[in-house]
Amino acid sequence: MSSPQSGSLARATPAPDGATDRKEDLDRSRLVGLRALAIRYGIAALLAVGALLASLGIQHLFDFPYPFLFLFFGAVMVSAWIGGMGAGLFAVLLSTLFVDYFFVPPFYSWQISTTAETYFLAFVVCALVAGWISSARKRSEVALEEARNQLEIKVSERTAALMQTQAELARLSRVLSMGELTASIAHEISQPLTAVVTNGDACLQWLSASPPNLEKARQSTEKIVQDGTRAGAVVGRIRALFKKEEPIKDWVNVNETIEELVGFLRHEASSRHISIRTQLLASIPLLKADRVQLQQVVLNLVMNAMDALTETPAKQREIVITSSTPGEREILVAVEDCGPGLNPETVDKIFDPFFTTKPQGIGVGLSISRSIIESHEGLLWASPNPNGGATFQFTLPIDRQEPQ
Amino acid sequence: MKERPTIFVVDDDEPVRKALGNLLESVGFEVQVFGSTEQFRRAELPDKPSCLILDVRFPGANGLDFQQSLHQAGIHVPIIFITAHGDVPMASRALRAGAVEFLMKPFPKDELLGAINQALERDRVRRSQDEELSALQSRFRELTSREREVLELVASGLTNKEIGKQLGISEVTTKMHRGQVMRKMNATSLAELVRMSDKLKAADFR
Repeated sequence: MSSPQSGSLARATPAPDGATDRKEDLDRSRLVGLRALAIRYGIAALLAVGALLASLGIQHLFDFPYPFLFLFFGAVMVSAWIGGMGAGLFAVLLSTLFVDYFFVPPFYSWQISTTAETYFLAFVVCALVAGWISSARKRSEVALEEARNQLEIKVSERTAALMQTQAELARLSRVLSMGELTASIAHEISQPLTAVVTNGDACLQWLSASPPNLEKARQSTEKIVQDGTRAGAVVGRIRALFKKEEPIKDWVNVNETIEELVGFLRHEASSRHISIRTQLLASIPLLKADRVQLQQVVLNLVMNAMDALTETPAKQREIVITSSTPGEREILVAVEDCGPGLNPETVDKIFDPFFTTKPQGIGVGLSISRSIIESHEGLLWASPNPNGGATFQFTLPIDRQEPQ
Repeated sequence: MKERPTIFVVDDDEPVRKALGNLLESVGFEVQVFGSTEQFRRAELPDKPSCLILDVRFPGANGLDFQQSLHQAGIHVPIIFITAHGDVPMASRALRAGAVEFLMKPFPKDELLGAINQALERDRVRRSQDEELSALQSRFRELTSREREVLELVASGLTNKEIGKQLGISEVTTKMHRGQVMRKMNATSLAELVRMSDKLKAADFR
């Protein structure tokens, strides 16, 4: 209720200024309109005069018995095309006058001999028709162009909306899967905090000794700073995963991205008696990619792998994450589990949105992962392992130029 | 304090175990830190009061299971559990299995030191009991088989006469054996002898 009122108020207050502004605007637009009109009619006049001069020239130079009247049709058509129906009619009018004066007997007079009447009438009608056709063509062309532009605008609007929805959904699924990791995250934060508190106690103890052990106290304080920084970094990484932000592509070390995420997952994994092993290529090229989105993909794949291992005997539960550069042009990341493998009946659907085999799942993890990888111009697919279990792997193209 | 006790710290997180080492050192303990339970098992345990500060969760292992395996191996070092995300069932399982304390990270210094003192006290009591028992056992081993029979029957509350009758020996001989038992076992009264016998029996059942 309040916003329209305040809106009208806001509009009412600067009335004098607004009025002069609007008047000036109006004047300016009228001026622009007049100029455009003058140009359109000027072109029509020029074309008609041009056609006249050309016809006269040809007639005199080559001693041609019949005038080149089609030049006038051309002038009419071009005028109508450029200036619309009005300019076309103006060109018809001028052409008619010129033809009547110069080319219709008796020559050099406005009179028309009875023999030339039909001929002259036919010329006028043809000129009118030519102008009409030309301007109609032009109108439809303009309409088509406008429709096309509007379609383009609509498509880009819809695409933007879809991208936004997708980003929102991706964040939601990220938050949901991070929610499953609260215990792990709490552990990640508690560890450095424990070190901070304990080193703080130790520092006080060293200081209260007699004589105070200043060297030990200094060392303890240094450790406090290190551990505090570590805790801050953990919080920063978690915040990055929860943040509502547009994807940003930057130079990313895939291995670091994986290691960081595995840090979050390690305790969740150990509570499920799963060991996560990483085999990462030592010197991996950097990629232009969105770090958080890549972590989300790896998170989804590892969480799926962990869920696949619930029925596996505790001693065999293992997930292997590897990174490699098989074709030199792309990086391949694979998440391998030793669970029951892929069900041949549903394997075609696992990447479909809202398809899930988990009782609590919403079925967006893999479809979002695939769209993230595809937005990075890579591929994501699943394949069965030769000795049971499944491997989910994705490729990412390596950019040719690397940062310094 | 007769001996400086040793505190063992087992935590897979390096900064945490180093911090614990630093704190315990600052209050005057001797500290040994380990990154894994395997490393701890390989270490030689000193013959003096000690206790173990153990993280509950390790990659691929579990502190609670490790507590059990130590127990089965006859290593009775008192354990203080520390964890960053424990729950009630976990804590109650640890305490039922004989843990001294179950602390949530991060914990105040006083709670940890209190638990350590309690653990060391427990270890001291256990160690002196063990010492006493092994002394008793070595004294018991010096008894002849007849003297052991006499001890057994004395402890079950029979008179010299009844013992003599049961073993088919005279009352005087019984008295003589009984005197030998009292002397060899270093007992000053009948009541003390009975307590010793009980302790030996309990140790056999252990």
